[in-house]
Amino acid sequence: MVKIKYLFIAALIVILGIVMVTAVFPSEERRVKKQFRLLSEWVSKSTEENAFTMLQRMKDIGGLFDAHCELRVPDQSLSGSYTREEISTYAGSARSQASQLDLKFYDLQVVFPEKEVAKVTLTARLTGRSAAGERMDETRELECLLRRIEKKWLFTQIEVIEVLKK
Amino acid sequence: MLLKRVIALEGEQVEFRNGKLFVDGREIEEAYVRYPCHWNLSPRQVEKDCVYLVGDNRSMPMESHHFGQASKRRIMGVILW
Repeated sequence: MVKIKYLFIAALIVILGIVMVTAVFPSEERRVKKQFRLLSEWVSKSTEENAFTMLQRMKDIGGLFDAHCELRVPDQSLSGSYTREEISTYAGSARSQASQLDLKFYDLQVVFPEKEVAKVTLTARLTGRSAAGERMDETRELECLLRRIEKKWLFTQIEVIEVLKK
Repeated sequence: MLLKRVIALEGEQVEFRNGKLFVDGREIEEAYVRYPCHWNLSPRQVEKDCVYLVGDNRSMPMESHHFGQASKRRIMGVILW
Protein backbone atom coordinates (compact mmCIF):
# COMPACT_ATOMS: atom_id res chain seq x y z
CA MET A 1 0.00 0.00 0.00
CA VAL A 2 2.86 2.34 0.92
CA LYS A 3 4.64 1.48 -2.35
CA ILE A 4 1.54 2.41 -4.35
CA LYS A 5 1.35 5.70 -2.48
CA TYR A 6 4.97 6.53 -3.33
CA LEU A 7 4.47 5.48 -6.93
CA PHE A 8 1.45 7.75 -7.18
CA ILE A 9 3.39 10.70 -5.74
CA ALA A 10 6.33 10.01 -8.08
CA ALA A 11 3.99 9.90 -11.09
CA LEU A 12 2.37 13.16 -9.97
CA ILE A 13 5.78 14.84 -9.66
CA VAL A 14 6.79 13.63 -13.13
CA ILE A 15 3.54 14.94 -14.64
CA LEU A 16 3.93 18.28 -12.86
CA GLY A 17 7.53 18.46 -14.07
CA ILE A 18 6.48 17.88 -17.66
CA VAL A 19 3.76 20.55 -17.38
CA MET A 20 6.24 23.02 -15.87
CA VAL A 21 8.90 22.38 -18.51
CA THR A 22 6.32 22.73 -21.29
CA ALA A 23 5.07 26.01 -19.80
CA VAL A 24 8.53 27.47 -19.18
CA PHE A 25 10.16 26.18 -22.37
CA PRO A 26 7.38 26.04 -24.99
CA SER A 27 8.08 24.16 -28.19
CA GLU A 28 8.89 26.13 -31.33
CA GLU A 29 5.47 25.20 -32.70
CA ARG A 30 3.80 26.76 -29.67
CA ARG A 31 5.95 29.87 -30.02
CA VAL A 32 4.88 30.18 -33.67
CA LYS A 33 1.22 29.70 -32.77
CA LYS A 34 1.55 32.35 -30.08
CA GLN A 35 2.38 34.92 -32.78
CA PHE A 36 -0.94 34.16 -34.46
CA ARG A 37 -2.74 34.47 -31.15
CA LEU A 38 -1.17 37.90 -30.65
CA LEU A 39 -1.96 38.99 -34.20
CA SER A 40 -5.56 37.91 -33.69
CA GLU A 41 -5.77 39.78 -30.40
CA TRP A 42 -4.20 42.96 -31.73
CA VAL A 43 -6.10 43.16 -35.00
CA SER A 44 -9.41 42.56 -33.22
CA LYS A 45 -11.14 45.69 -32.02
CA SER A 46 -13.96 46.41 -29.61
CA THR A 47 -16.42 49.28 -29.99
CA GLU A 48 -14.97 50.93 -26.87
CA GLU A 49 -11.40 51.14 -28.14
CA ASN A 50 -9.83 54.54 -27.48
CA ALA A 51 -7.18 56.38 -29.49
CA PHE A 52 -4.36 55.42 -27.13
CA THR A 53 -5.16 51.70 -27.41
CA MET A 54 -5.46 52.05 -31.18
CA LEU A 55 -1.95 53.52 -31.45
CA GLN A 56 -0.55 50.87 -29.12
CA ARG A 57 -2.14 48.10 -31.20
CA MET A 58 -0.67 49.55 -34.41
CA LYS A 59 2.79 49.47 -32.82
CA ASP A 60 2.23 45.97 -31.44
CA ILE A 61 1.10 44.64 -34.84
CA GLY A 62 4.21 46.06 -36.51
CA GLY A 63 6.38 44.27 -33.95
CA LEU A 64 5.14 40.89 -35.18
CA PHE A 65 6.61 41.45 -38.66
CA ASP A 66 10.10 41.24 -40.05
CA ALA A 67 11.72 44.49 -41.27
CA HIS A 68 10.39 43.54 -44.72
CA CYS A 69 7.43 41.28 -45.30
CA GLU A 70 6.06 39.95 -48.58
CA LEU A 71 2.28 40.31 -48.84
CA ARG A 72 0.21 38.61 -51.52
CA VAL A 73 -3.40 39.66 -51.01
CA PRO A 74 -4.92 40.11 -54.49
CA ASP A 75 -8.39 41.10 -53.14
CA GLN A 76 -6.91 44.15 -51.43
CA SER A 77 -4.42 44.94 -54.20
CA LEU A 78 -1.61 44.24 -51.75
CA SER A 79 1.25 42.60 -53.50
CA GLY A 80 4.93 43.07 -52.87
CA SER A 81 7.39 43.76 -50.13
CA TYR A 82 6.26 46.06 -47.33
CA THR A 83 8.23 47.44 -44.43
CA ARG A 84 7.17 46.86 -40.84
CA GLU A 85 6.13 50.52 -40.61
CA GLU A 86 4.04 50.32 -43.79
CA ILE A 87 2.24 47.24 -42.47
CA SER A 88 1.64 48.95 -39.15
CA THR A 89 0.21 52.03 -40.89
CA TYR A 90 -1.93 49.90 -43.21
CA ALA A 91 -3.28 47.90 -40.27
CA GLY A 92 -4.09 51.11 -38.41
CA SER A 93 -5.88 52.54 -41.44
CA ALA A 94 -7.86 49.31 -41.99
CA ARG A 95 -8.80 49.10 -38.30
CA SER A 96 -9.95 52.74 -38.25
CA GLN A 97 -12.50 51.92 -40.97
CA ALA A 98 -14.19 49.41 -38.68
CA SER A 99 -16.13 50.02 -35.50
CA GLN A 100 -15.65 46.43 -34.36
CA LEU A 101 -13.42 43.60 -35.57
CA ASP A 102 -12.82 40.02 -34.59
CA LEU A 103 -10.01 38.06 -36.25
CA LYS A 104 -9.82 34.34 -35.59
CA PHE A 105 -7.42 31.71 -36.91
CA TYR A 106 -8.40 28.07 -37.35
CA ASP A 107 -6.77 24.78 -38.35
CA LEU A 108 -3.17 25.98 -38.00
CA GLN A 109 -0.71 23.51 -39.47
CA VAL A 110 2.90 24.33 -38.68
CA VAL A 111 5.87 22.78 -40.47
CA PHE A 112 9.53 23.73 -40.39
CA PRO A 113 10.85 23.42 -43.96
CA GLU A 114 14.30 24.64 -42.88
CA LYS A 115 16.08 25.80 -39.77
CA GLU A 116 14.65 29.03 -38.32
CA VAL A 117 11.77 29.03 -40.83
CA ALA A 118 8.17 28.05 -40.11
CA LYS A 119 5.48 27.59 -42.73
CA VAL A 120 1.92 27.81 -41.47
CA THR A 121 -1.27 27.09 -43.38
CA LEU A 122 -4.50 28.17 -41.74
CA THR A 123 -7.98 29.54 -42.16
CA ALA A 124 -8.53 33.15 -41.15
CA ARG A 125 -11.96 34.59 -40.42
CA LEU A 126 -12.56 38.30 -40.01
CA THR A 127 -15.94 39.43 -38.74
CA GLY A 128 -17.18 42.77 -37.52
CA ARG A 129 -18.85 45.99 -38.55
CA SER A 130 -17.58 48.83 -40.67
CA ALA A 131 -17.71 52.39 -39.35
CA ALA A 132 -20.82 52.81 -41.52
CA GLY A 133 -22.46 49.86 -39.71
CA GLU A 134 -22.14 47.29 -42.51
CA ARG A 135 -21.56 43.69 -41.42
CA MET A 136 -18.25 42.10 -42.40
CA ASP A 137 -17.61 38.38 -42.64
CA GLU A 138 -14.60 37.22 -44.63
CA THR A 139 -12.93 33.83 -44.58
CA ARG A 140 -9.66 33.11 -46.36
CA GLU A 141 -7.03 30.41 -46.44
CA LEU A 142 -3.58 31.75 -45.73
CA GLU A 143 -0.06 30.48 -46.14
CA CYS A 144 2.43 32.26 -43.92
CA LEU A 145 6.17 32.13 -43.52
CA LEU A 146 7.79 33.15 -40.26
CA ARG A 147 11.48 33.48 -39.61
CA ARG A 148 13.16 33.18 -36.24
CA ILE A 149 15.11 36.37 -35.72
CA GLU A 150 16.77 37.09 -32.39
CA LYS A 151 14.66 34.42 -30.65
CA LYS A 152 11.41 35.87 -32.02
CA TRP A 153 9.24 34.38 -34.74
CA LEU A 154 8.40 37.18 -37.17
CA PHE A 155 6.09 37.15 -40.18
CA THR A 156 8.08 37.38 -43.42
CA GLN A 157 5.39 36.37 -45.91
CA ILE A 158 1.60 36.21 -45.93
CA GLU A 159 -0.21 34.88 -48.96
CA VAL A 160 -3.93 34.47 -49.52
CA ILE A 161 -4.50 31.12 -51.21
CA GLU A 162 -7.19 30.95 -53.85
CA VAL A 163 -9.27 27.94 -52.82
CA LEU A 164 -12.38 28.59 -54.89
CA LYS A 165 -12.07 29.70 -58.48
CA LYS A 166 -15.28 31.01 -60.01
CA MET B 1 -12.51 25.12 -43.34
CA LEU B 2 -15.58 25.78 -45.48
CA LEU B 3 -18.87 23.90 -45.63
CA LYS B 4 -20.18 23.84 -49.19
CA ARG B 5 -22.35 21.68 -51.41
CA VAL B 6 -20.85 19.90 -54.44
CA ILE B 7 -23.07 20.87 -57.34
CA ALA B 8 -20.98 19.64 -60.29
CA LEU B 9 -18.15 17.25 -61.01
CA GLU B 10 -15.12 17.51 -63.28
CA GLY B 11 -15.94 17.98 -66.95
CA GLU B 12 -19.46 19.22 -66.24
CA GLN B 13 -20.61 22.67 -67.23
CA VAL B 14 -22.07 24.96 -64.56
CA GLU B 15 -24.27 27.96 -65.10
CA PHE B 16 -26.70 30.14 -63.15
CA ARG B 17 -29.62 31.80 -64.91
CA ASN B 18 -31.67 34.17 -62.78
CA GLY B 19 -30.89 32.11 -59.68
CA LYS B 20 -31.53 28.70 -61.29
CA LEU B 21 -28.67 26.23 -61.45
CA PHE B 22 -27.95 24.50 -64.74
CA VAL B 23 -25.49 21.63 -65.07
CA ASP B 24 -24.66 20.62 -68.64
CA GLY B 25 -27.59 22.75 -69.76
CA ARG B 26 -30.10 20.87 -67.57
CA GLU B 27 -31.91 22.75 -64.80
CA ILE B 28 -31.27 21.26 -61.36
CA GLU B 29 -34.04 21.25 -58.78
CA GLU B 30 -32.53 22.59 -55.57
CA ALA B 31 -35.05 22.07 -52.76
CA TYR B 32 -32.34 22.81 -50.18
CA VAL B 33 -31.96 26.46 -51.21
CA ARG B 34 -34.12 28.36 -48.74
CA TYR B 35 -34.03 31.88 -50.13
CA PRO B 36 -34.50 32.69 -53.80
CA CYS B 37 -31.67 34.50 -55.57
CA HIS B 38 -31.13 36.08 -58.94
CA TRP B 39 -27.58 35.07 -59.68
CA ASN B 40 -26.36 34.98 -63.25
CA LEU B 41 -23.14 33.15 -64.02
CA SER B 42 -22.00 32.43 -67.55
CA PRO B 43 -21.32 28.74 -68.36
CA ARG B 44 -17.96 27.36 -67.25
CA GLN B 45 -16.48 23.89 -67.22
CA VAL B 46 -15.24 22.20 -64.07
CA GLU B 47 -11.54 21.44 -64.48
CA LYS B 48 -9.89 18.05 -64.10
CA ASP B 49 -9.67 16.76 -60.51
CA CYS B 50 -11.96 19.55 -59.32
CA VAL B 51 -15.52 19.88 -58.09
CA TYR B 52 -17.76 22.92 -58.16
CA LEU B 53 -18.91 24.13 -54.77
CA VAL B 54 -21.71 26.49 -53.75
CA GLY B 55 -23.26 27.19 -50.36
CA ASP B 56 -26.99 26.77 -49.73
CA ASN B 57 -27.41 30.29 -48.39
CA ARG B 58 -27.64 32.41 -51.53
CA SER B 59 -29.50 35.34 -50.08
CA MET B 60 -26.55 37.66 -50.65
CA PRO B 61 -25.29 39.12 -53.96
CA MET B 62 -23.25 36.63 -55.98
CA GLU B 63 -20.12 38.76 -55.61
CA SER B 64 -20.28 38.40 -51.82
CA HIS B 65 -20.66 34.63 -51.82
CA HIS B 66 -17.61 32.36 -51.77
CA PHE B 67 -18.15 29.68 -54.35
CA GLY B 68 -16.35 28.11 -57.26
CA GLN B 69 -14.24 25.15 -58.18
CA ALA B 70 -11.67 23.59 -55.92
CA SER B 71 -9.38 20.61 -56.08
CA LYS B 72 -10.91 17.33 -54.87
CA ARG B 73 -7.82 16.90 -52.67
CA ARG B 74 -9.12 19.71 -50.48
CA ILE B 75 -12.23 17.80 -49.46
CA MET B 76 -11.89 16.90 -45.78
CA GLY B 77 -15.12 14.95 -45.30
CA VAL B 78 -18.86 14.95 -45.60
CA ILE B 79 -21.56 16.11 -43.21
CA LEU B 80 -23.23 13.33 -41.23
CA TRP B 81 -26.84 14.46 -41.57
